[in-house]
Formats: sequence, C-alpha cells, structure tokens
Amino acid sequence: MPPSIDRRKFLLVSALAGVTAACGSDPTRRPSAASAVPLSRTDSPAALPLHDDVPMIANGLSPESGGTLKLLNYAEYISPDVVKKFGKEHGVEVEITTFTTMDEAIAKLRTAGTSFDVWFPTPDVIAKAAVGKLVQPLNKTYLGNLGNAWPQLQNPFYDEGSRYTVPYNAYTTGIGYRADKVKEVTGYDLLWNPAYNGKAYLIDDAREALALAMLKNGSIEINTEEPGKITKAGAWLTELVDLMNIKVGVTAYQYIPEGQATVHHCWSGDMVNAQSYLPKGVEADVLGYWYPDDNTGVVGTDAMAVPRGATKPVLAHLLINHLLDNAVAQENFSYTGYQPALTAITPEKMVTDEFVTEQLKSTIVTPEVYARSQQIFQISPAAEALWNDSWAQFKAGQ
Amino acid sequence: MRRRTGFWAALAAPGTLWIVALFAVPFYAVAAVAFGYTDPVFNSPVPEWDPRYWDLTAFGEILDRSLTGDLRPVFLRTFLYVLLALAVCLLVGYPVAYYLARHAGRRRGLLLALILAPWWVNYITRMLAWLNLLQDDGYVNDLLLLTRLVDEPVRWLSGNPVTVVLALVYGYIPFFIVPLFSALDRIDERLLEAARDLGCSGRRAFWHVTLPLSRPGLMTAGAITALPMFGDYYTNSLVSGSPTTTMIANQIEFYLLGGTRKELGASLVLLLSALLMVLMAYYLVSSRRAEEAGA
Repeated sequence: MPPSIDRRKFLLVSALAGVTAACGSDPTRRPSAASAVPLSRTDSPAALPLHDDVPMIANGLSPESGGTLKLLNYAEYISPDVVKKFGKEHGVEVEITTFTTMDEAIAKLRTAGTSFDVWFPTPDVIAKAAVGKLVQPLNKTYLGNLGNAWPQLQNPFYDEGSRYTVPYNAYTTGIGYRADKVKEVTGYDLLWNPAYNGKAYLIDDAREALALAMLKNGSIEINTEEPGKITKAGAWLTELVDLMNIKVGVTAYQYIPEGQATVHHCWSGDMVNAQSYLPKGVEADVLGYWYPDDNTGVVGTDAMAVPRGATKPVLAHLLINHLLDNAVAQENFSYTGYQPALTAITPEKMVTDEFVTEQLKSTIVTPEVYARSQQIFQISPAAEALWNDSWAQFKAGQ
Repeated sequence: MRRRTGFWAALAAPGTLWIVALFAVPFYAVAAVAFGYTDPVFNSPVPEWDPRYWDLTAFGEILDRSLTGDLRPVFLRTFLYVLLALAVCLLVGYPVAYYLARHAGRRRGLLLALILAPWWVNYITRMLAWLNLLQDDGYVNDLLLLTRLVDEPVRWLSGNPVTVVLALVYGYIPFFIVPLFSALDRIDERLLEAARDLGCSGRRAFWHVTLPLSRPGLMTAGAITALPMFGDYYTNSLVSGSPTTTMIANQIEFYLLGGTRKELGASLVLLLSALLMVLMAYYLVSSRRAEEAGA
C-alpha cells in the first residue's frame, strides 16, 4: 500500500494543529494578587480615582443627534415608553442591551469594539469600574435634577462627590408573604416556621441569603470577612433544608401571587410588581411585605453611569438627568416596580397615587429607612470566595 | 491512487473543522479558565492559554470535594437520578418503540410524529405548563384525589426527587424512543420467523432474538439520553429548586453564572466531562463488540 495520509491520521493531525494554534497566543503572566480597588463603607467613604486619560465632557455641549443611544441595563429595569419618548425628542433610536449579573455587565463593557452610552451599575462594582477605567467622570453642569435625589445619595459613600455616578433606584430586602395564609407576621422567623414547609423560598444569592441568616440570628455584620462567622451563617441556613424544605429563587413577584410560595425572602420591588401578577379572582390584599423597623434590614440602591467608550456622552448625561426628573421617575417606577431614590417619592404619596396597596406601603423606601439599615458592600476577593463557598455548600444540600 | 486517497481524506475536513471549532477550542478554553487565574481589579477569571503556567489548585480543590467533601453526595445523587430516569425511559420507551417497529403498520409515521409532537412547543412553555398542573391545588392532584389514589395532595414541587426524575424522563424520552425504534425496525423479520420455526415461543423469540439484536440500539438510546441529563440544570431548578435535589450541573451553573469563582465551575466541567468520557468509551467499546459479534 502506498504511504498516504488516511482519514484517521488526518483527523488526529488537524486536531493537534488546532490545539497548538490555541496555545500559541501571547502568554499572559499572573499579576500580583493584591486588590487595587478601594472598599468603600458608609463610615469610610471612597473618592474614586480620576485618570488623565479618561476626561469628562466639556460644559455646554449640544447633544449628539442621529444614530442609536445604547443603554446597558438589567432586563425590564427601565420603562420602554420613557426611553422611546426621550429618543424621539432628541432624534435618536434607543437600544437596550441587557445583562443578568454585574459580572456579565462588566464583561460586556470590557469587550473590545462595543460601546454603551448609559450603564446602570450597583454600588459594589462602581469602584472597580472606575479603577479599571470603564466609566467616565460625570459633568454635573448637565445634571441639574441631581438635587431631587435623597440627600445621602447626592454625595454617596461609594462614590464621594458623585464623580462617576448618580443614584437610580432603591429597594429593601425583606419577606414577601401571602397575607391570607400567614396568621402572624413574625419577621425573619417566618422563614423558620415549619407551617410553611415546602412553600418557603430564599433569594438565590449568596450575600443576600447568608446576610438573612445573620440578621435573623441578631448579627448585623453582614460584610464580615471572618471565616468563622461566614461558616456559622452557612450552618444557620442549612437548618432550613430539613426544617423548611427550603427552596431558592428570584421570582417572588410571581410565586407569591400565584400561591407557589407562602413566604419568600425577596426585594421590595418584587412585591410592588406582584400586584400585576395576580391570577384572576385573587385580590391585591393577599400580598404582604415585611421589613424590620429596627436596624436589622438590608437596603440597596443602584446607580447610573456613563461608560468610557460612550459615543453619545452628552446625550447620555441628558438621559440621566431626565430620569432624575420627579415626574419622569414616577412614570419609570410604574413600569419597573423599583422606586427611584428621590425625595418626592414617599410611602403616603405612593398609596394615594394607587401605586401600592396600603398593605404594601412597607415596600416604599425612605431616606430614614436607608439611613438606619444595613447594606451589602463590596468585600475582598478572598472573603467573597468564603461567602460563595458557604453558599455552595448550602446549595449542595449539606 | 495517491491523489484519490488524499481526496477521500479531505472529505473529513468539514467534520474536523466542526469538531475543532465547536469542541476542541471551547474545551481548551474551559481548561484555560480552570487552570487560569483571577484578575485583581475585576475579580473575574483570566484564562491561562499556556499550559506551562497552569495552576492546578482549583481543580485539586474540586477533585478533593468531589471525593470526600460536599460535592460527593451531589455526584452520587446525579448518577442515581440519571440511572432512575434511564430505567423509567426503558420501561416506558421500549414497549413504545417495539410497538412502533412491529405492530404500528401504516400508522407508524403518524405515531412517531405524535411522539415528537411535544417538541413543537417550546421547552420552557411545556415545563411551565407542568408547573401549573403539579401545583398543590393543580389538576394532577385534583385527579389523584378524585380517584382516591392519595388522601392528601402530593407535594410535587416542594423539592420532590420523584418530580425531578420524572421531569428528566419527560424531557428526554423521545431521544430514547427514536434510536431504539430504528434499531428494532432494522431487525430482519426472517430471523424471528426462523426462531418460531425452530420452536421458540413468542416470548422466547423476543428474549433470544429481538432483545440481543436491539442491544446496540439500547446502548445508543441510553447514551443519547443520559448525556444531556447529566448536563441539565434547568429542569431541576424549575421543578424543584431545593438544595436537597441539587445535581452536579446545578453546581456548575452556580459557579459559572454567579459569584467570582469561575475556575471552580470550569474545573467541575472538566471533571464531569472526564467521567462522561469514561462512560462514552465503554459505550464505544461495547457497541463495537456488538458489531463484531453481529458480523
């Protein structure tokens, strides 16, 4: 037989060629492990670094027109009507790219060749975005409506002087429940009450769920980096596996009105939205939301920023300012269910305007609630790994 | 002569390209993440493409936890669920495939189409429909209560392992029936006639002729069904969501979609792949043996 390359050999050789080609790319070396990102706290605010090569836009520019204004946001986290109207007014199309986690958002911002004009980050990633030069400093001369925001958030701890961000929405983490099935609202103990076995849910998030276990057991150190305390919280959560046949999820807005969950650890916005998920014949007064009136609750906010690579930075500033307008913000709230962090939005007003039922008044966050509550902060990567490990063990059914 | 061989070898090029682009490169990328490091600013994984710098710590941790730690019961549970689901597929799927191949006559086309009919509806819609049916006060429980099969509603959706196994069966059983059907269909009817002529009862003819000859089909059906079951996390999250039914793919999803320890998720992918490759190797060896025995 003549020496020839048979099919099998061809397959082998080409497969190897593929692997060597993949190996051949420029080898990147391990950088030093120390984190370069400041960890801001309410009692030790962080002024985020400015960079010479990332300038802010000049004063008094006229907005860009034509083309597409690109937003990077969670799904269904901004009213399509609000952005459509804004786009029409300025002669641009508006395109929303969505993400499900902040990691994913950052990956999208870091992808070469992509550009976004407005991004809606959470405080825990703002510092790394600023250090990593993913966002540009804001020019406050375009942001006259910033004065409508809660006083604490006009100069927030996570971005002192609002260099890179302005506030967007605020929410609390509490317990949503079926008022027709829960006899006594016992706070966090609702989730440890075997009467609701098989009908109890935790938020599917390491930090939120472990923080719940800590708060229920009287500890407000929900940003601790001590391994012992984190493991302990994991053990407290594990009690729920046998006691409650606990489940995890992030669809309280659906499971509670539909009756699949009786008690659900959830965000305040979930319960606002639950009002639109009621099956036929179920009244809105079956929906309840509990949030502690002491300091053992978790509050969260998110923000708006302009990515460094924005192609319409002036228009991006205008949209941000537009969303800080009281009337626009309220219209946006009616779509997202998550309230803007503006002084004009009060629990009383939201009940009068029929945004929420009297029973769900507790879903509306005020600057006072924000001030007394705990927040989930960015922690060191090593500690984050510990939190994740505890959560992973819980999820493995341990 | 030589040119012709080159020509035939070149016919393998599209397939090779396919495998390199959609298997070898992604697989290598997973390995690069598993053995890579973490970016200090973004705390996100950075793949290490050069094997000389691979860091095996994460993989070692996963291996350790799978052998003795928290992942061990998850692996065992995964194998148990898939095995049970396969057993149910066999019990339900074999008679169906057998009927289609032997007795369906002219209606077999229609019946095959009906078996695949659920596939005309989008997966998520089908599963959400089941979620409604299986509620504590849903139609399934109504029926069970009405027929006095149970005294109180079955808690199908409260982290019930039975639901998870049945959902897996429901999701993948057509993959089991179709290859098995084509194997049964290929069995030469004259062999069965010969068996009957030689005095076999119908049952013995099935036992000694049909079943052994359908073994390769069974192996294929089992492999095609089991592989996606091992990787399925969504069915489980939908119908249970409880830590007591967590399967290995749920932990992979957990590490890869959330949190910052993607290298652990990637390591888990490698470990699961290695286990599945062992199963595939067994399948290849035994189906080859069956072919040789058949020839």
